[in-house]
Amino acid sequence: MPPTHILNGIKVIDFSHYVAGPHCTRLLAQHGAEVIKIERLSGDPTRKLPVQKGGTSGCFVQHNLGKKSLSLDLEKPEAQGICHDLIKNADIVVENFTPGTMKRLNMDWETLQAINPKLIMCSVSCMGQTGPLATYPCFDYIGQAYSGIMGMTGDEGGFPALSGMAFGEISTGAHAYGAIVSALFHKLHGGGGQYLDISLLDCLFSYHAMNVQVYDASNGEMNPLRSGHQHPFIAPLAIYQCKGAYLIIIALGKQWTNLVKLIDREDMLDDPRFADPVSRNVNRAELTEAIEFWLDGFDDVDAALRSLGENHVPAAPVLSVSEVMSHPHMIERGIVQTITNKHFGDLKIPASPYRYSLFPEPLELEAGLLGEHNHEVLSEQLAYTTEQIQILEDSGVCSIKP
Amino acid sequence: MTKKMLDDFTVVDFTHVLAGPHCTKMLAEHGAEVIKIEPTGGEMIRVFPTLKEGRSAHFVQHNIGKKTVAIDITTPEGQKICHELVKQADVVVENFAPGVMKKHNLDWDTLRQLKPDLVMCSISCFGQTGPLSHLPGFDYIGQAYAGIIDLNGERGRPPVFGEYAFGDLSTSTHAYAAILTALIHRMNGGGGQYLDICLMEVLFSYHEMNVQLFDTTDGEFVCERSGPSHPLFAPIGIYTCKGRYIFIIGLGHSWDSLMKVIGREDMLSDPRLADVSGRGKHTDEINAAIEAWLDTIEDVETAVAILQEKRIPAAPILTIPQVMELEHTKERGMVRTVSDPVFGTVKIPRTPMRFSQFPDSPDLQAGMLGQYNHEVLRERLGYDEQQINELENTGVIGSKNI
Repeated sequence: MPPTHILNGIKVIDFSHYVAGPHCTRLLAQHGAEVIKIERLSGDPTRKLPVQKGGTSGCFVQHNLGKKSLSLDLEKPEAQGICHDLIKNADIVVENFTPGTMKRLNMDWETLQAINPKLIMCSVSCMGQTGPLATYPCFDYIGQAYSGIMGMTGDEGGFPALSGMAFGEISTGAHAYGAIVSALFHKLHGGGGQYLDISLLDCLFSYHAMNVQVYDASNGEMNPLRSGHQHPFIAPLAIYQCKGAYLIIIALGKQWTNLVKLIDREDMLDDPRFADPVSRNVNRAELTEAIEFWLDGFDDVDAALRSLGENHVPAAPVLSVSEVMSHPHMIERGIVQTITNKHFGDLKIPASPYRYSLFPEPLELEAGLLGEHNHEVLSEQLAYTTEQIQILEDSGVCSIKP
Repeated sequence: MTKKMLDDFTVVDFTHVLAGPHCTKMLAEHGAEVIKIEPTGGEMIRVFPTLKEGRSAHFVQHNIGKKTVAIDITTPEGQKICHELVKQADVVVENFAPGVMKKHNLDWDTLRQLKPDLVMCSISCFGQTGPLSHLPGFDYIGQAYAGIIDLNGERGRPPVFGEYAFGDLSTSTHAYAAILTALIHRMNGGGGQYLDICLMEVLFSYHEMNVQLFDTTDGEFVCERSGPSHPLFAPIGIYTCKGRYIFIIGLGHSWDSLMKVIGREDMLSDPRLADVSGRGKHTDEINAAIEAWLDTIEDVETAVAILQEKRIPAAPILTIPQVMELEHTKERGMVRTVSDPVFGTVKIPRTPMRFSQFPDSPDLQAGMLGQYNHEVLRERLGYDEQQINELENTGVIGSKNI
């Protein structure tokens, strides 16, 4: 069989569930790796989330494309033995249990490293494997709160606001993927296996592109706080209104000159109160008024956006998810991917953002039902006979094939 | 000295602001030699706060470990230097608006002729193709177009945006991972290739549910911003406790535990609240019960401790200084202190990838504008002092103590 993608031949044993870990192993599968997902007998909890169809869930399908499902009762020594046997011939293990769980299941790094010295093991967690918060129960939003991300979202002086998607989990999955390919690269250069500790908290905290250094380098004088629809330190960088619709405008560097010319306020170019992005922020009330006055002259937000775009001022309409899905640019780039799942039917999901000139098309991948590949994995990879598999099913070590 | 993963790899870096520079910073942190080409006046981010004696701590944060070379790439002489550097390089990264690299004879088709096994990564807001590709972009522009800003804020009120650059920084991570994947492919004999990574697609991929929910409900479900509570499920939200904020999630077993802790076991037998979707229809009622309990608790810390004791996911909403002071943050070394000739030291978030073989972040500094002009031209390209002086006199290269 010709190679289909870069990680062909790489084998991954995947103990992950929910979103952060599964997104990482989905990326590995999308890059051609063989991923065997080991699930508890009740299945990954996302199998129960909406929308349900054909015995599976849209949420599960989205995050588990391209994986073989092997369902085992990991509390049982026989199941742990099967995992150890699979890991002997694997390149990568990924897991996202609460720290301590893998050790309880005899699947911690020390144990697995002894079984396979060249193994790369990646633990994905909310708070990391060490530190006082390590074993707290967690989700994406818990990490957002502890990293100062949630505190930076919402109206000035008002209630913080939730973001409507799991950017912590998905982007932590991407970080884990990046760390794994780095370690794989190192191993290919003769560097051996290693253990990776990737956490939501670290990832979310790293998204403070300014806040940490601004607080530190100003000796606490500039204290970053949520500021609603305006940036706390820089202007113009804000959401504005135009005929009842919202748009965001950002004008930095040369774009500032472009903007003030466009809105016919070239006087601001010589005004010391608007000399740089920080002083423009100090005097932003007057600036906002000037921009909204100009926006009032348009029939609709699209006309304003066209004018801003033509004059090289970064601007965007605030689109809803459904508006994004029907936008001509997204359609031309194919950022909504329609996958066909043999159980669920057609399903639209966000396409993978990785685009390679040598591999322009995404692989066609399926997400299996719970335990769908039990027989295949046990017989093909570990040479179990039908009778042996039957015994495992009867004793509840692995689930009955669907 | 231990060999870092990317020792002996050379990156020619044409990036500016955040999304590109964070990617090349990660390459530098993994051991690559990064030669950052800047305009002779310095890149845009060099004027961003915090500023000290003309030096930007924002620049420092995102450019540690790079050799700064300031070249006017609009001149044929400047382009010749770039071509010579690319001939010796493994990776090129750039994040101009699509078309700019071509205008300066630095596009993929030109560079691949000079170095056939080059890996080139373009990072942009909208991607290299499609009707929006030519528009200027920033993180928040991508967030608006990806349907993310629309989900932040109170229902029926203007949307807000979070004051952190998760679009830029996590797009960098995707680019970093794509580059490493392409290097693995090159190492396996697959040759060089071109990577097209964009913010909009990375951000859109963070909709872990919204796209498939809209699709599979035939448009019935359109996610909307819902302030401090989750739009679909309950209880997931931000609550007040003695004038401060706390985040609580009660899903699965935590729902039972939470109702017991707040003394509302009656809700456990209420048929309207039997499952997650049912609870989502009675968010206000559930929230009122939780807030009534929080009113009886002396402060946020006590409430968090009680909830975490019962393994109910909960977190205080923290400001940046509070995060930096957290015991967990300190123990994990999440805040990293880098040294700088002007600032002395600057605190920045640690890069989230943690490798067992490379536990410490490398000690790296950010260059002054054009600091490495002479070294790079002399040592890598064999220019003599006279040639370098001539380039300086004609303004092809430049330097400044910022």
